Amino acid sequence: MSLLEITGATRHYQVSAGLRRGRVLQAVRGIDLAVEEGEILAIVGESGCGKSTLARLLLGIEEPSSGSITVGGRPIGAYGRVERARLIQPIFQDPYSSLNPRMTVAGAIAAPLEVRGVGNGRSRLAAVHEIMDAVGLARYLAGAYPSQLSGGQRQRVAIARALIGEPKILICDEPTSALDVSVQSQILNLLARLHRSFRLTIVLISHNLAVVGHLADRVAVMYLGKVVEAGPTEAVFAEPRHPYTRELMQAILPPELGRGLPELRLKGEFPSPLAPPTGCAFHPRCIRAGDACREAVPELAGSERLVACHYPLREPVHA
Amino acid sequence: MTPLLEIRSLSLEIPVNDGLLRPIRSVDLTVERGETVAIVGESGCGKSLTSLAVMGLQPQNARLSAERLAFQGESLLGLDRRRWQAIRGKRIAMIFQDPMTAFDPCYRMGDQMAEILRQHRPVSRAEARERIVALLRRVGVPAPEDRLDQFPHQLSGGLRQRMMIATALLCEPELIIADEPTTALDVTIQAQILRLLADVQQETGVGLILVTHDIGVVAGLADRVVVMYGGEVVESGTTDEVLGSPRHPYTAGLMRSIPVPGRTRRGQPLGHIPGLVPRPIAPLTACGFLDRCEFRHEACAAAPVPLRSGAGERQLRCLLPIETPRQPAEPLVAATAIA
Repeated sequence: MSLLEITGATRHYQVSAGLRRGRVLQAVRGIDLAVEEGEILAIVGESGCGKSTLARLLLGIEEPSSGSITVGGRPIGAYGRVERARLIQPIFQDPYSSLNPRMTVAGAIAAPLEVRGVGNGRSRLAAVHEIMDAVGLARYLAGAYPSQLSGGQRQRVAIARALIGEPKILICDEPTSALDVSVQSQILNLLARLHRSFRLTIVLISHNLAVVGHLADRVAVMYLGKVVEAGPTEAVFAEPRHPYTRELMQAILPPELGRGLPELRLKGEFPSPLAPPTGCAFHPRCIRAGDACREAVPELAGSERLVACHYPLREPVHA
Repeated sequence: MTPLLEIRSLSLEIPVNDGLLRPIRSVDLTVERGETVAIVGESGCGKSLTSLAVMGLQPQNARLSAERLAFQGESLLGLDRRRWQAIRGKRIAMIFQDPMTAFDPCYRMGDQMAEILRQHRPVSRAEARERIVALLRRVGVPAPEDRLDQFPHQLSGGLRQRMMIATALLCEPELIIADEPTTALDVTIQAQILRLLADVQQETGVGLILVTHDIGVVAGLADRVVVMYGGEVVESGTTDEVLGSPRHPYTAGLMRSIPVPGRTRRGQPLGHIPGLVPRPIAPLTACGFLDRCEFRHEACAAAPVPLRSGAGERQLRCLLPIETPRQPAEPLVAATAIA
């Protein structure tokens, strides 16, 4: 049994459109994924693909419309709020808005312990100092307010706050997108180190394949509310099977000379989740699409390498 | 021939409560016609302020000084509001990072774009509309006639950025300043927008200043690179020179911190630059990068470091030898790292 299991999870929203009758936005349209204990799973996709909705489902902030999400075999909704928070903690994209501006660093980091009534003030402060050391925050910053910190420091505070209750699972939603590259690399290094020392299970959500590929054991690529490809990071990078994954890989701009600009073979625009295309959701943009793609929804098939495509790629892209 | 844009020794000083901020310190920059010059650096390095100063859009209480700030040989220093209006938006156009906040949410796209055109050119409404539709078609906006009646929030991020580029092209500018034009976009859209910028430049021969923190974008698009740190130019040259063999420890550090699939090993620590961009409050008495540099020695702390010229077009603000390539000492970085 996997630590975290997502089975057929969907999430719909009613969207009101002025005087017209409400329509249904399908943010997550049926996802099956399992996360093993101690694993780093990356979920990659572009804006509107439902990855942040999936993060909220995993955190138990929202309930799936159908399907189930279990942690250690128990549905996530069956855990109490505090119990769930001990198990799963989030790290959000923007450390400028995820910290209370009127709380000191020590106050923010100690809050989870306080809520649970763990220890007394002195023992909590000791725990705060210990976790600040672990995430690379100087102890003199304990009395500082978020406005006095840099973006990288704030993200470290968010990480410290998430880790102080010793959760098993960390859900990181775009943890480095708001940061400069030199700070991004520090946060990535920190997550890699904490993953080892705290034996964490991490779900890493991002739009940047290069960033998550650096940390993740496995990658799942999402498109319009569904997983279109999943597999071990090296295999997916070396030999993407889904045409969309290949385009995402091509779109990476490495800091290397002589590559020029990537030539993408994507048609049109990202479709609206209010009116997903028939058949394979990617077919209007796919250069390989045939009749089958317009009619039938491809199943996510395979054992270790999963791909949802009627005509998957076989040959490696980079010779 | 006079360069399209010539900046010599541009400085900006902003009085604040506890002294004088110096976010730009004696910056030199030239842009030729048809050339793309990238300004790279972390947030707070002065790259955006430099580009705003070219448009005369520096903060109101800022004191700007320069030996020369000239566009097509004509000085931009001390222009009054009316003279600026004849240049801004017409001969120098700007593309901003976030097209959501750059457009007015209360006006239809077509009206906003027509206003800019009619401000600078004596055209009728119908003519303006015609030109806008043609430009929107050129930048790959589907169903351009329908877009004119839409509001900014009804468009996707990629479409908005295409319309921003069309807006910048309205008056056939000679110079476009693009400040992080793709930072807010998805990766596949980023690739399409950069391709569009490259095509537009090829067709019109417009000069382009590309302000970015993404070295990947620079490698794909720029002819020359100016690396800024702490308000100073620390390294510049052709893209091949600077990215092919970065000489300044800051440039090298930026490049090492980016994960590259297939080249950086998974899970291995990435390079990084320890420390933070300092607040530019005092005049420099030493190398501005001193505190964060892995190669620092006594001479670096003695006095500010001048910008020196090397072979080709390279300029470098570092006391280390310009011409001998050095392999940055990786273990040293790892040892001093707290993360």
